[in-house]
Amino acid sequence: MAATEAARLPGSALLAAALALPGVQPASADSAPDQRSVSFRYLDYLDRQPGRDRVRIKAPTVHALAPLGSDWSVSGSLVSDAISGASPAYHSSALTRLRDKRQAGELSLTRYLADGTVSVGAGYSTEADYVSRGLTVQGSLSSDDRNTTWHAGLAVNRDAINPVTGAVSGERKRVADLLFGVTRVLSSNDVLRLDASASRARGYLSDPYKLFDERPRERRSTRLLLRWNHHLPSLDGTLRLHWRAFRDDWGVRAHTLGLEWVQPWRWGLSLTPQLRLHTQSAARFYVDAQPGPSVPLPPPDALHSSFDHRLSAFGARTWGLKLAKTLGPEWTVDVKLEHYEQRAAWRIGGRGSPGLEPFQARSWQVGLTRVF
Amino acid sequence: MRDAFRIRFQAMGGDGEFMIAAVDETQARRLAQAAIDEVRRIEHKYSRYREDSIVSRLNAAAGGPAVECDEETLQLLDYADTLYGASGGRFDITSGVLRRAWDFRVPRVPSSDELAPLLALVGWPEVERRGARVRLPRAGMQIDFGGFGKEYAADRAGALLSGRGLRHGYVNLAGDLRVVGPRPDGSAWAIGIQHPRQPGALVASLPMYAGGLATSGDYERGFDLDGRRWCHILDARSGMPVSAWQSVSVRAPLAVAAGTLSTIAMLLEDEALPFLESSGHDYLAIDRHGTLHQRAFPGPPAGGEATRRPPAATPHPTPT
Repeated sequence: MAATEAARLPGSALLAAALALPGVQPASADSAPDQRSVSFRYLDYLDRQPGRDRVRIKAPTVHALAPLGSDWSVSGSLVSDAISGASPAYHSSALTRLRDKRQAGELSLTRYLADGTVSVGAGYSTEADYVSRGLTVQGSLSSDDRNTTWHAGLAVNRDAINPVTGAVSGERKRVADLLFGVTRVLSSNDVLRLDASASRARGYLSDPYKLFDERPRERRSTRLLLRWNHHLPSLDGTLRLHWRAFRDDWGVRAHTLGLEWVQPWRWGLSLTPQLRLHTQSAARFYVDAQPGPSVPLPPPDALHSSFDHRLSAFGARTWGLKLAKTLGPEWTVDVKLEHYEQRAAWRIGGRGSPGLEPFQARSWQVGLTRVF
Repeated sequence: MRDAFRIRFQAMGGDGEFMIAAVDETQARRLAQAAIDEVRRIEHKYSRYREDSIVSRLNAAAGGPAVECDEETLQLLDYADTLYGASGGRFDITSGVLRRAWDFRVPRVPSSDELAPLLALVGWPEVERRGARVRLPRAGMQIDFGGFGKEYAADRAGALLSGRGLRHGYVNLAGDLRVVGPRPDGSAWAIGIQHPRQPGALVASLPMYAGGLATSGDYERGFDLDGRRWCHILDARSGMPVSAWQSVSVRAPLAVAAGTLSTIAMLLEDEALPFLESSGHDYLAIDRHGTLHQRAFPGPPAGGEATRRPPAATPHPTPT
């Protein structure tokens, strides 16, 4: 069990051996950042159905984070969306022109404590027909060995809706989200996180730009999100796996499986291919498309109805690729491409809603980050 | 601005002290209590005097069955193996049995007849380990972690305080230091090193911002007889005290590394300086004639700051 006299170890071997002892080095809970960071991103999104481009969004975003003393940090972001194109009034039909601009901002303040963090945030977003105000409170608490961290969060939003079509006016929507989560470090290569959240939305939840869109005035939903990050030292890469389960009282049940591989490369490059699979059932009041050119009607005795393809039963696949490169110690640039496709036939564990055109979206995003 | 609070306690057979910068004393005491609990946990778990400790159970089973050890104990045993290798067998955690022949309260050198049966029980390479099961092969064999347990406790306490957000302060377990961070104003703590021949006097004052500092010396336990110093630091191969150095202090990132480097340097006698140089850490060694050998440390105390606040820079128990 012992080393021999013949091969006496050098003095330098001692520190390495001592560092292998358990618990002699500090394991910190999240600590306040000691550097500022500023990032700029530009997103270009376009969705389409066969033969027709639909909605285009161009959105520049700035985000900044700065430490305040040794125990606080402040972060904020601003985004400006320019939305243009056309959206179907029902199913994949009657594409109607739309144009809007959205400005949104967020500010949050975080306090770093010995065993955790507390943060509060506020957000504001405005469009021609929609104003949203939100508040968030979040906290985390880490175990003494820092291998387990508990999270909790509460978010509330109050929105005011005044569609330009005058379909309704002075409508309100309130949403409350409650989240509990736990992060567990399983080994030096594995981290697991489980989040459970519940949401309740009340008020005007319909889409005023769609035909016969009359949704319930309340929606309760729950979400489970499991994330597993696994580092493979032999490849120096990291696998990120996530599974999300969603259900609401409108009858929508959805599952999403996400897969990413982060592969650092030479010259400060890192390549991340991504794949996401999604499947969902339709809302109870979703009305299927009928064959033929006639405009469908909601069933005569229906209290609620929607022809929105987002509430239909479908499956979707997303392919993505992200390329990041560090430029010196302060700058990072990244480019991300994504392709999304939604088809009724891709639903898993059931039939998809009939009569809808395949729906596709592509996006690209460039980002520049400076940490100093 | 935060103040630094000094909190004293007794543990590991000596004086313990925490210096903790906090907004008030209540907060400092609350932080300190968690760290004191950690020090006491280690003291209990590895005590030779408690029958239920893992060390007592291993020793009681010597010559008998293997004992299942937990992960922390196995890692300490791994470290002990490294120390055995780095010291060429001079630092051996099975050498505690030599205490039966050496009683440093009485100035008497044991005969070779007295030492021979005890030396037959010293032998780290003979300790058997299969997975988590550890066995001392001969009845009467003993292990103990006295050679680095206190420094390990100082590191664990320091890491715990740091993990709980402490930025300014240190842990001092009877002279073995783990500094978590500098003074609240960012300046270094000035740590005095005790003069090995003049009790209460300092031989140097060392600036410490972070990391470990430990001293091994011949002055704490031992006796003078026939014109030489017989100290408690024993070479496990011969069972005899070393005599080349009055004291060796080492500054390293961890207290446990500093403490074992200084002890092994004492044990290596004439080979100590190349060993200390090869370690890459700063050291201050005083040879048997009182001559100072050092790397990167400042000279004798300049007074003021250093002399005002000397911690108890006593040597730690070494493998005797």
